[in-house]
Amino acid sequence: MMKKLLLVCFSFWLFSSYAQETYTVNGVKDERPGLHAFINATLHVDYQTSIENATLLIQKGEVIASGKDIKVPNGAIIHDLKGKHIYPSFIELSSNIGMPKAESSRSPGPQLGPKKEGAYNANDAIKAYFNAYEAFEAKSSDADKMRKAGFGVVLTHNQDGLVRGTGTVVALHDGPENEIMLKESASQHFSFNKGTSTQDNPSSLMGAIALIKQTYLDAQWYANQNDMVDIALDAFNKNKSYPQFFDADGDKLYVLRADKLGDEFGVQYIIKGNGDEYQRLDDIKATNAQLILPVNYPEAYDVEDPFDALNISLEDMKHWEMAPYNLKMVADKGINYSITSDGLKDASKLSDMISQSLDAGLSEEQALKALTYNPAQFIKMEDKLGSLTKGKYANFIITDGSPVKKDTKIYENWVQGNPYKYNDYTLAEIVGNYTLTVGDENYQLEIKGEPGKEKFKIIVNDTTSYEVKSEISKQLISFSFKDEGKEEDGKIRLSGWLKEKGLAGSAKMPDGSWAKWSATLNEDDSSEDKEEDKKEDEKEDSKIASLIYPFVAHGNTERPTAETILIKNATVWTNETDGVLENTDVLLENGKIAKIGKDLSASGAREIDGTGKHLTPGIIDEHSHIAISRGVNEGSEAVTAEVNIEDVVDSEDINIYRQLSGGVVASQLLHGSANPIGGRSAIVKLKWGYSPDEMKISWADKFIKFALGENVKQSNWGDRNTIRFPQTRMGVEQVFEDAFTRAREYEDEWKDYNDLSKRDKANATAPRKDLELETIVEILNSERFISCHSYVQSEINMLMEVAERYSFRINTFTHILEGYKLADKMKEHGVGGSTFSDWWAYKFEVNDAIPYNAALMHGEGVVTAINSDDAEMGRRLNQEAGKTMKYGGVPVEEALKMVTLNPAKLLHLDDRMGSIKVGKDADVVLWSAEPLSIYAKAEKTIIEGAVFFDREEQEENLDAIQAERARLVAKMQGEKSKGKSTQKAMPKSQIIYHCETEIQNYSSLK
Amino acid sequence: MKIFKYIGIIVLSLFSFTAMAQVPAPGEAQSEPIAIMNAYAHLGNGEVIENSVITFENGVITNVADATTIRLDLSKFKVIKAEGMHVYPGLIASNTIIGLEEISAVRATRDQDETGDFNPNVRALVAYNTDSELIPTTRFNGVLYAQTTPRGGRISGSSSVMNLDAWNWEDAVLKNDEGIHLNWPSKLRRPRWWLGENEWSRNKEYDVDYQEVKSFFNDAASYNQISQPETTNLKLEAMKGLFDGSKNLYIHTDRAKEILESIQFAMKMGIKKIVLVGGDEAYYVRDFLKENDIPVILEETLRLPSRTSDPVDMPYQLPNLLHEAGIKVAIGQWGSVMQVRNLPFSVGTAAAYGLGKEEALRMVTLNPAEIMGVDDNIGSLEKGKVASIVVSKGDILDMEGNQMEYVFIEGRQVTLEAHQQRLYQKFKEKFDQE
Repeated sequence: MMKKLLLVCFSFWLFSSYAQETYTVNGVKDERPGLHAFINATLHVDYQTSIENATLLIQKGEVIASGKDIKVPNGAIIHDLKGKHIYPSFIELSSNIGMPKAESSRSPGPQLGPKKEGAYNANDAIKAYFNAYEAFEAKSSDADKMRKAGFGVVLTHNQDGLVRGTGTVVALHDGPENEIMLKESASQHFSFNKGTSTQDNPSSLMGAIALIKQTYLDAQWYANQNDMVDIALDAFNKNKSYPQFFDADGDKLYVLRADKLGDEFGVQYIIKGNGDEYQRLDDIKATNAQLILPVNYPEAYDVEDPFDALNISLEDMKHWEMAPYNLKMVADKGINYSITSDGLKDASKLSDMISQSLDAGLSEEQALKALTYNPAQFIKMEDKLGSLTKGKYANFIITDGSPVKKDTKIYENWVQGNPYKYNDYTLAEIVGNYTLTVGDENYQLEIKGEPGKEKFKIIVNDTTSYEVKSEISKQLISFSFKDEGKEEDGKIRLSGWLKEKGLAGSAKMPDGSWAKWSATLNEDDSSEDKEEDKKEDEKEDSKIASLIYPFVAHGNTERPTAETILIKNATVWTNETDGVLENTDVLLENGKIAKIGKDLSASGAREIDGTGKHLTPGIIDEHSHIAISRGVNEGSEAVTAEVNIEDVVDSEDINIYRQLSGGVVASQLLHGSANPIGGRSAIVKLKWGYSPDEMKISWADKFIKFALGENVKQSNWGDRNTIRFPQTRMGVEQVFEDAFTRAREYEDEWKDYNDLSKRDKANATAPRKDLELETIVEILNSERFISCHSYVQSEINMLMEVAERYSFRINTFTHILEGYKLADKMKEHGVGGSTFSDWWAYKFEVNDAIPYNAALMHGEGVVTAINSDDAEMGRRLNQEAGKTMKYGGVPVEEALKMVTLNPAKLLHLDDRMGSIKVGKDADVVLWSAEPLSIYAKAEKTIIEGAVFFDREEQEENLDAIQAERARLVAKMQGEKSKGKSTQKAMPKSQIIYHCETEIQNYSSLK
Repeated sequence: MKIFKYIGIIVLSLFSFTAMAQVPAPGEAQSEPIAIMNAYAHLGNGEVIENSVITFENGVITNVADATTIRLDLSKFKVIKAEGMHVYPGLIASNTIIGLEEISAVRATRDQDETGDFNPNVRALVAYNTDSELIPTTRFNGVLYAQTTPRGGRISGSSSVMNLDAWNWEDAVLKNDEGIHLNWPSKLRRPRWWLGENEWSRNKEYDVDYQEVKSFFNDAASYNQISQPETTNLKLEAMKGLFDGSKNLYIHTDRAKEILESIQFAMKMGIKKIVLVGGDEAYYVRDFLKENDIPVILEETLRLPSRTSDPVDMPYQLPNLLHEAGIKVAIGQWGSVMQVRNLPFSVGTAAAYGLGKEEALRMVTLNPAEIMGVDDNIGSLEKGKVASIVVSKGDILDMEGNQMEYVFIEGRQVTLEAHQQRLYQKFKEKFDQE
């Protein structure tokens, strides 16, 4: 009945147990026994074992015994913890506590090389040399915030750079740095953010990934050479033996990316995730990674204003609801993780947040494991941390219940035997209704409120009561009130003490006389009933959303899979010698086109009536920049063949779905055009709902982006960008010449090395593996193919000539707006043209761009495609192809090929895609009208026999989206009315990438 | 019956080597009455005549009739046989910078954005370059008029309606300084995406911006009532037309709240004619717009939805959704100046998404003409209006059909071939292609 209540609530530090061996003592040596026995406690030895009525014995910061029937040695200071709990304190793995403040100043203009002086790495973002233990400076106030939340130990590292150096494990007590450091180097840390480095490279996510990969290779090479010193690489090699942590800041796909990067070098990272892992759980599970998960669940959005509510995306609304379920779902999947307070405004919110997850079904045991046992394992300190058996550090908290539950009080946090007191558990609990007797008078006294902040009230009747001034200090209590029922002025002043089930003491009456007083707890206190009411309240809206893939509006509740589909009686545009077949049936089976003919039947097939409709091969976009995470250009250097769009495919981009709605089935996701040799591309099918890896066409040839002209010579980058080579078309040629020359030499160097006898090899140093040159060697050997951004004839001519000099051919000129001027030469070289239908006038080099370009190139026999370079245009490439009929009179079937079969040819996909032919992939689109007409709508877009877009279903989907939004809005309003805090509803924008996106970025930075 | 063959293509191809990089000369004044016979006429007001006769003389339409019922002596006319073809009033491009910008990446060719916040006195028409290479490519697709409009600042300046075939801007202008363009402040500030932001934030300056606009309009209203001001204020002078209804106030804004706030503001200020430009979220305030009779010039149809949960074809449907709500809609095309020539296809897409061809056409003909107050002259094929007419081989809203056979502006036959066609011809000949 008595609610637990404490009288004092502030932290104080009892005494010092610190004794520094090497330091001179000022005064006399004051080393204390530090022997404590905690008795009668419920002792949670580890996350899954609890012992009632147990004893914990510690000495000099270590546990010397724990459990039942432990004999308390003489001299132990005894702490009676009857009714209290002892838990191992928490371990934080994502922290920069004690680290220097990150400072960065970017000077205007390019920075091509590193700024850090000394024998360091070629890139400032590689800070493997940084040792947290060297930089660590304890800060008591930061430590105290963590202690209050229940933490005892922290792994801290400098959160700056791609390779961040080592982390150090420190205890959260206020001793000197020399003593609180438990393990000087416990880990090595990585991230995708270059941090304070102002070096241009890397400017993109793919650039960051490539740089980390190259660093692994460089470190391998470095270990076996004697030519140079690189402090960062040296440290990198030394740090390899520690557990490797990766901060995959971003979303769930970043976790997958981090793991994949590690796989390439045989490293299993422990990965810090983002709290949205539930959205791609199977893929996360497949990484086998152990995770560090944040609990910074979003607040409900303020949706009172319907216009503001429009700003919130469905995925953000759904995530608000789902976020607390993440921990449970990840745990149920059998993934090991630790919980971090990182990302919370205030670590003290930790138990509130975890409590939400407990409501969502997470077990208490799992939560505790993730705060104690798992993190101890991750840093290989389970022998000293995470539980309270003999030999462990005396790191524990004393509480009134489970520390992962909301409102649980942490009384004390002991770190290596040093107590930090936040609430006084020795104080009695006095909340309740009392009968107060002062002299002969009886009053009803109500005591309510938080410990130390109790409110006293005299109750006269149901509607009348009056406040009482009170003060409580340790065992003493004093309060005063004026008896409103009496006429006399002055207050009754009471002073007294706490006793069993009540209070007692002496009172000074208004008339100056002394009286005795006592307060006795009433029998009919009913606070527990209220508790139950509250619980039912919370159960009300336990209904939650279903998952969708991807976790974006228009995502699928079920992954589309291949069906047997029979399309009846359609007009079929085959792109084969059969041309256009009227009233024809097409059977799709096992993801392939199985039959084409009249009056087909297939048992069990889903029949689609194609009467009056048109069936074409799916549209293929040779030049797209959709579905790319964090940067389409690594424009920081002239040659960046090391970067790869495949590393950054974003399967959650709504533009995938939008392209499907325009009949697009596949796209080449290209690097931008900021530099002469850009990055490698990803060729994907637009399998909405699948993972990035599943979207990639596994059998596709490898491609790379090259670029020419104004973009690469930085004509429109702003006045400061006049330094990076090349600045003219003359220089552009030399970049290629140099790259190919170096690549040939590189290939020879490796060849020479590989040709060595085993013995000679043992004595020789292997050449440095260079990701950039490896890629260029592939080009020279026709194992990778070029799609080159190009505009004017001189540069087109130049690149063909360079390629011929190096005995390979350019595969595709993309954009190629002056291709018509050289169509004969292109034909001769054997290069295809993938062009805009009618773009021009946006810069000087497109002055002679004409919409007849496609027709003229096609007329010369060049394989010609129409591309988009734009998420918006990509979804109506059929219209763009239609323009070739207007400009130049291309026959309609040939025009259709420009967005289907021809791009398939340019991408070497035409064996399996680009036409309707038995045996080819069932990538088809059913149109409402002639496919190149402005009135044509893609009704069904089918990839490998699976329907990925269905216009009819879209109507239902929209209703479902509306309903889901309405449900979530109502739920959020409920939160607000309960008085929970909300956040403003601000819209989010998506960057729609084009070739030149980062160029605009540069000039806007100035 | 004498049929005139128009041989411009042949003539020009002969010229092609000498006439490079020069826009063709404007057409000559109409010298004789012309009759366009038997075309499928789309009048621009929503009506069609399947088999039509259209006659015009001295640059003015003299008859628009059904060929199956009318009796007409064709001997006085130069007759254009247009059976199987489609005839339309010239399309009108709203809110463009055509003639003001040539190459967007080259600063010297950009003339649309004057410095300063309040520039109502700045006039687009005087910078309108009739020799812009973009103009011939635009009328090549049937767009014959453009509202040339300044950009930037809080009040960008005044726009004018221009015909797209003239020797100089004075000849080109159909209606000068017909409206003033106000860029309404945004309540939200764009994410600074180069810093990795993707979330908008509250524009803390909004109230200040609002007050600036308010005090400017207050001053303009006050100035308007002073008959003999001590000092002439060019800015406030330019604002006068807003209070007597001789000029439109074009309010450029997209989001629902700003639409409501800006239009209520303008009405309260006593602005007679208000037009909403942009209106991405106009759908959500359609009742308000209808109630107050506010016409809307929508941004081009061919763009992405603003929100992930929007229907994928939301921008395609929007013109129809507003039309169904009873709002007068014009469709613009201003994302990039080269795209003005794609106006017909922007509209064609709207036609496909519920609007239908004739209503769609109206949004680039009669509706913008009415909004800009030039409907007594252009916007539909009606007797007494100027003869700005396009004859297309097929459906002008579809790529394959959009093939201009004859184009007249004020009765003058316009040369269609220009720089792009000349280059086409040159290389077709080089490669001996047919």
